[in-house]
Amino acid sequence: MALAIEAEGIFKTFRSGWWKKREKQALKGIDLQIEEKEIFGILGPNGAGKTTLLSILCTLLLPDRGNVHILGMDSLYDGHQIRKRVNIVSGNANFLWSLTVKENLHYYGMLYGLTGKERGKKVEMLIDIFNLKEHQNIPFDELSTGMKQRLSLAKSVINDPEVLFLDEPTAGLDPDVSIRIRREILSIHKERGITILLTTHNMKEAEYLCGRIAFLREGEILAMGSAEALKRMVRIGDQIKIEFKGTIPEDELVRADGVINFTISDHLCEIIVDEGEKRLGMLVAMIAQSGAQIKKVTLRQVDLEDVFVEFAKGTDSDMGLSV
Amino acid sequence: MSSSNLQKALTQIWAFLFKNWIIAKRNVFAIFEILFWPVVGFFSVGLLTSFLELDSNKTGFILVGIISMSVIQVCQIDVAYVLLYDLWSKSLKHTFIAPVQSFQLILGSWLIGVVRSFFVFLLLSIFSSLAFGLDFLRPGIGPLVLFLLGLFLTAASVGMSVCILVLLFGYMADVAAWSFSGLISLICGIYYPVFILPFPFPQIAQAIPLTYFLAYFRSFYGFNEGFKNVLAWGFGLAGVYIVVEAFLFKAVLQRARRTGVLIKLSE
Repeated sequence: MALAIEAEGIFKTFRSGWWKKREKQALKGIDLQIEEKEIFGILGPNGAGKTTLLSILCTLLLPDRGNVHILGMDSLYDGHQIRKRVNIVSGNANFLWSLTVKENLHYYGMLYGLTGKERGKKVEMLIDIFNLKEHQNIPFDELSTGMKQRLSLAKSVINDPEVLFLDEPTAGLDPDVSIRIRREILSIHKERGITILLTTHNMKEAEYLCGRIAFLREGEILAMGSAEALKRMVRIGDQIKIEFKGTIPEDELVRADGVINFTISDHLCEIIVDEGEKRLGMLVAMIAQSGAQIKKVTLRQVDLEDVFVEFAKGTDSDMGLSV
Repeated sequence: MSSSNLQKALTQIWAFLFKNWIIAKRNVFAIFEILFWPVVGFFSVGLLTSFLELDSNKTGFILVGIISMSVIQVCQIDVAYVLLYDLWSKSLKHTFIAPVQSFQLILGSWLIGVVRSFFVFLLLSIFSSLAFGLDFLRPGIGPLVLFLLGLFLTAASVGMSVCILVLLFGYMADVAAWSFSGLISLICGIYYPVFILPFPFPQIAQAIPLTYFLAYFRSFYGFNEGFKNVLAWGFGLAGVYIVVEAFLFKAVLQRARRTGVLIKLSE
C-alpha cells in the first residue's frame, strides 16, 4: 500500500528568550512511515514532542532538518497543495468566538474554496452527521466543550481530506463525550477511508483507535508497532496471582513454559508469564497436582498503560493515565 | 487559471470579507468604530474651527484631515482584524492550515474595510456639508475618487504593517492596530501643513503616501504645500509599500511556521 505520510530524520529545536539563547530540542531525528488508510497513534507523556511532530507533518511548522512527504508531496515545497488535502482537529477546539456553528462551517468551507450551493449542501450534511442541528445557530463561545469538539470534527472533514491530523482530540472532555468522539473518529475513518494520525497520552484511546502506535519520549520514538506488539516488546508480562494452602512446587514453576518470574510469600504466589490466558490453565493444573489447595486465582493482563509507564520511566511527566 | 479555480480563489477572498462582516455586525464596539468615534472626533474638531473663526478654506483644510484620518483608521483596522480576530479566538492555526494565500487574506479584509470606511466618509461628508458648509464634491468626482483610493491604499499598507507585527510579536502587537494610524496622522499633517513640523519629520512625512493624497485634495481648497506630482508620488509610494509588505508578510508567515508562533498563538 502507498505511503500517506513519510518523515525522515526530523529535527526541531525551539529557541526562546531575548537573545534566543534558551534552547529546547523537541524532536531528535524522527523517522515515520504511515500507510494510506491507516490510523496511526503517537503516544507519549506531556512534552514528548507529539504536537510538534504533528504540526510539522500538517505543514503548520517547519522542521530544522529532515524530509516530510505527505501524499507523495514534499511539505517544504508543496505546502499549499498539501493543505488542500489534509485537515486538523485539536483538543481544546478554538474557532471564531462570535460566529455560530453554521457560520464557522461556512467560513472554513470558503477557505477551502467551496462555492455557493456545494458549500451549503456540505454544511447541512455535516450538521446532520455530527448532530449539530440544534446548536447550528449558537455562537461558538456559548457551546459546551463536547459540542465544540464535534464542530471541530465537522470542520475537519469539510474539504474531504485524505489525511486527518488529530491532536489530543478528547483532551479535557468528559468520559462519555470522549467515547462518543472516538466513535465518530472511527466512523469517519470507516466511511471515508482516510489516513488518520492521532496524538494522545490516553492509552485506551490509542489502543481503541490505532492500528499502530509510536511511543515518543523526549523527542525520540522509542518503540513502534501494534498495541499487542508493544506489550510484548516491554516484556513486563501478565500477572497471575494464586492464593493457596499447602506447598507450591517451586522447581517445577521455574521450568514451566512462559514463566518469566515468580514470588511466593505467605500463601500467595505471584507469577509473571508471557501470555496469561494461554498459561493459566497449565499453571493451575500444575499447582493442584502438587497437592496445594487453590483458594483464589486472578489474572491481570498487561495493558498499554503498563507499557506507557514502562516507556515513560525517566521523564518527569504528569502522565495522564485516566481514560 | 480555469474558471473553477478562479471561482475558488474568489470564494477564499470572500471568506475573509464574510468573517469580518459577521463579527463586526455582532460587535457593539464596531458601531462605536464606524459611528461614535469618527462622529465625535469630527464634531470636536469642526466646532473648534467655528470657535477659532477660521475661514472656509482653513476649515476645509482641517475637516479634510479629520475625515481622512477616520477613513484610514476604519479601513486599516479591518485589514488588521483579519488576523486579530483569529489571534483573540486562538484559531490562527485553522486559518493557516487551509490552502489560502496571504494576498487573499489581505484583499478580502481590505474590501470590507473599504465598504465600512466609505460609509464613514459618506456620513462625515454629509455632516461637514450640513454643519460646516464644506462641500466634498467641490473638487469633482474624479479627484474625489482618486483621493479616496489613495486613502484606502494607505489604509491597506497600515493594516498590513499591523498584520506583520502580529505575526512577529503576537499579542504584544495588537496595540499597533490603534496606534499606527494616530502616529501617521501626527507626521502627515492631519491638522497642519507638514512644513511646520520640526526636523526630521517633514522629511519623514514625504515618505508617507498620505502626505501627498492630503496635499492633492487640499489643493482644491486653495492650499499649496509645494509638493510636485503629488498623485504619482502618493500612488507610487503606496504601491511600493504594499508590494514590499506583501513580500514581508509572506516572509514573516514563513518565519512563524519556522519558529512555531502559529502554534503558540493558537494555544
